[in-house]
Amino acid sequence: MDALMDKLKEEIILQLNLEGVKKEDIDNDSPLFGEGLGLDSIDALELIVLLEKNYGIKIANPADGKKIFQSIRTMAAYIQENKK
Amino acid sequence: MEAYIKGIGIVSPQKTFKTHDFLSEAVEYNTNTLRCIEPVYTEFLNPILARRMGRTVKMGIAASSVCLKDAGVEIPDAIITGTALGCHEDTEKFLMAIIDNDEQFLTPTSFMQSTHNTVSSQIALQLKCMNYNFTYVHKNFSFESALLDGLMTLADTDAHNVLVGGHDEMTDKHFRITARAGHWKEEKTATMDIIHSKTPGSVSGEGAAFFMLSNQEGNNDYAKLRALRMFYAPESETEVHNKILELLKEKNMTTADIDCVVYGISGDVRYDQKYYNLKNALFSDTTATYFKHLCGEYQTSGCFALWLSSMILKTQTIPKSTLIGKNNKKQFKNVLIYNNYMGAYHSVYLLSQC
Repeated sequence: MDALMDKLKEEIILQLNLEGVKKEDIDNDSPLFGEGLGLDSIDALELIVLLEKNYGIKIANPADGKKIFQSIRTMAAYIQENKK
Repeated sequence: MEAYIKGIGIVSPQKTFKTHDFLSEAVEYNTNTLRCIEPVYTEFLNPILARRMGRTVKMGIAASSVCLKDAGVEIPDAIITGTALGCHEDTEKFLMAIIDNDEQFLTPTSFMQSTHNTVSSQIALQLKCMNYNFTYVHKNFSFESALLDGLMTLADTDAHNVLVGGHDEMTDKHFRITARAGHWKEEKTATMDIIHSKTPGSVSGEGAAFFMLSNQEGNNDYAKLRALRMFYAPESETEVHNKILELLKEKNMTTADIDCVVYGISGDVRYDQKYYNLKNALFSDTTATYFKHLCGEYQTSGCFALWLSSMILKTQTIPKSTLIGKNNKKQFKNVLIYNNYMGAYHSVYLLSQC
C-alpha cells in the first residue's frame, strides 16, 4: 500500500504539473481538493483519466469520485480493490 | 486615428523585461532559433493557475502585468491581442496525446489552454475585467490587426485605455516543420551578423509584448502612434514606396521629416533587398536601424519593432546594436517602421515623439 501511495503521488505530480511540489509534501490523508493540495474540477477529470490510463480502472458512477479522490490513501485503496 | 503609448511590457530574447535599460548590452546568439529570456513567473501568477499554462500564456500575462503597472492603469477599457500561432505548445500536446494514446485517455487541460484567445481571456480573468476582449488571428498581420482595432476602439467608443498585445512562441516541432518549408537558415548563425548573410531563410524568434494605448496624452508617454498600414503581396516595390509616400503626405510630412527608419531585415537573402531598395529610394540619408537579429523572425515581430521605436522616441537614443551604418541625428521626432514577413505581409507604422 505504501509503495502504491508513493507511486500515485509521483503520477499525480507529473499529470497535474504540480511545479515545486515533492511527493514528501503530500500527506497520505490530507484532502486532495479544496484545502490540502487545492485541486479543482479540472484536476478531477485528469485524475479520472489517470486511473483509466495507468490502472485500467473506469469510474462508472461519477458520484463515487468524491469518495475515491478524498485523499491519496482512499485513491490507493480504490486502486487495490479494483485494479484489473 | 492616433494613440499615445503610455505603458509597455515585453518578453523577448533580449533583456527587455521589467528594465529601463535600453539594450545597452544586446544578447548575442549563435543559432537558427531564438527563445525568450523568461521572467520568474511567481510574481505574476498563482502557481496553481500557472501549472496549467503554456509558455506563451505565461509570457503574455507577465508582459501585460508590467504594461498595466507601467501605464498606471488597473482595469483597461479593452483587451485586444494578436497571435498567429496561439498557444502552440498546448495544441501540440493534445494533438500528440490523441496520436500517442490512440484517441483514448484524453485530458482537458491542454485543449482548454490551446485556444488562440487564451492569453487575452486569462488577462481578463486575472483582472476580473469584463470589458471588450478580442483576439486577432490573421497570420502575419495578427498584431497589426489588434493594433488597428485598438486605434478604432479609442476613436469610436468611450474607451480611454486599451491594452493591445502580440504574442507568438516557437516550439521544436513547429520549427522543424517550418524549416522543411524553407523558413529558417539551415546553418547556425551569429545573430549580430545576419545583416551580412547571403543564405536563404532567417533566424526564427518569438516574443510577447503589450502596449497601453490611450487617447489622452499623459506626462510620461513613450510615443504617439500616428498611423498604421498593412498591405498584402504588393505587385511591386514601387507600390510599397508609393504607399509610404501617400501615408506621409496624409500626415503633411515628407521623407525628410523621418528621423529614423526601423527595418525588418531578417538575414533572408530572398527578401532583405526590399529593405535596402526602400532605403535607397526614399531614405538614403535617414538613420537606419533593424531589429530581427535581436528577437528573430516571427509573425508578430512587429510588436518588438514598436517597442524599439517607442524606446528610441522616449529615450532619444539608438542602441548601437540596432544601427545600420552611422547615426547623424541628435533628436528623434518621427520614426517609421517598415516590416515584411517573407516578402508578402508588409506593414508600416508611423510614430512621433510626445
